[in-house]
Amino acid sequence: MSLFPLFHWVQGTAFATAIRESALVYPIIMMTHLASIALFGGMILMGDLRLLGLAMKDRPVADVVGSLRAWKWLGFVVMVTCGVLLLSAKAEQYYPNPFYWLKMTLLACVGVHALVFRRSVYGNLKAIDRAPQVPGTAKAAAVISLVLWIGLVCAGRWIAYYEPPKDAVQALSR
Amino acid sequence: MLIEFQNPLNSSALAFPILECIHIVGFALSIGTVAIVDFRLLDIGMRHQTPAQLNKDLSVWTIVGLSIMVLTGMMLYSSDPDMYYLNWAFLLKMLFLVFAIVFNYTIHRNVVLSGASPGKTKMVAYVSLLLWILVIFGGIFIGFLNPTLDVNKI
Repeated sequence: MSLFPLFHWVQGTAFATAIRESALVYPIIMMTHLASIALFGGMILMGDLRLLGLAMKDRPVADVVGSLRAWKWLGFVVMVTCGVLLLSAKAEQYYPNPFYWLKMTLLACVGVHALVFRRSVYGNLKAIDRAPQVPGTAKAAAVISLVLWIGLVCAGRWIAYYEPPKDAVQALSR
Repeated sequence: MLIEFQNPLNSSALAFPILECIHIVGFALSIGTVAIVDFRLLDIGMRHQTPAQLNKDLSVWTIVGLSIMVLTGMMLYSSDPDMYYLNWAFLLKMLFLVFAIVFNYTIHRNVVLSGASPGKTKMVAYVSLLLWILVIFGGIFIGFLNPTLDVNKI
């Protein structure tokens, strides 16, 4: 089953068309997407570096990773919302783009990562602070998080550089 | 006089996107660390630490991020200097960048290290966040303007 009809339909909605055709709305959504990456991606980065013992060693893990959690979630929601809007405007171009699918795969992995490490790491920050050193599980969670997030940024950027074979989009819509 | 010079960055199709990715990670690091301090100044995160303590931990990471960001930024700029020079979004971005850096190491630094009235503290945090967000906005807008070099006007 191909998802292309869905992408085709999304791009054709009046809403997506309005975003695509606006000279200002599209860039503003992209700016907001990037601003959330800077603010909240940076916070995620520092949380990972703290778990690895590379940064903010004198601050409790519970504070560095935990106290900004609500804001990181808010940032994540803003980032994803903007991403979905950007996607909807040019859905047909994204469909054949392997970097778009790589990015979605990495995003799914971020979700799995959060679930897998919820009990042992992210819901267990006080115990991590009481331990003589940060446990290996938490460090593993941090490394995987770093790889996933840097991968997401790179895959996202590469979406813009992929040139589909000339007749790919036409072939899909036939 | 025009000098024949081939920028090695332009001979690889991969160089520009790779630099862009490093640029993004660099500004996430610098702006993210500044944002952590600003959220503390606004009393909406990291409440158990003082702003000065956070600054002590984070300032080195802010510098690392800034260095990565500026260095990759200059390399990106070097790929097509004329286009950037004629791009008003780029010029605005540079203006905001200078404001943001100067503000960060003067007024912002003083409030972080020495404290200030609650009103001033919050105002400084908002201005700091706003300036850095404007730098990003300018950066994104560069790609949506496409000035062409009119040789007759030089």
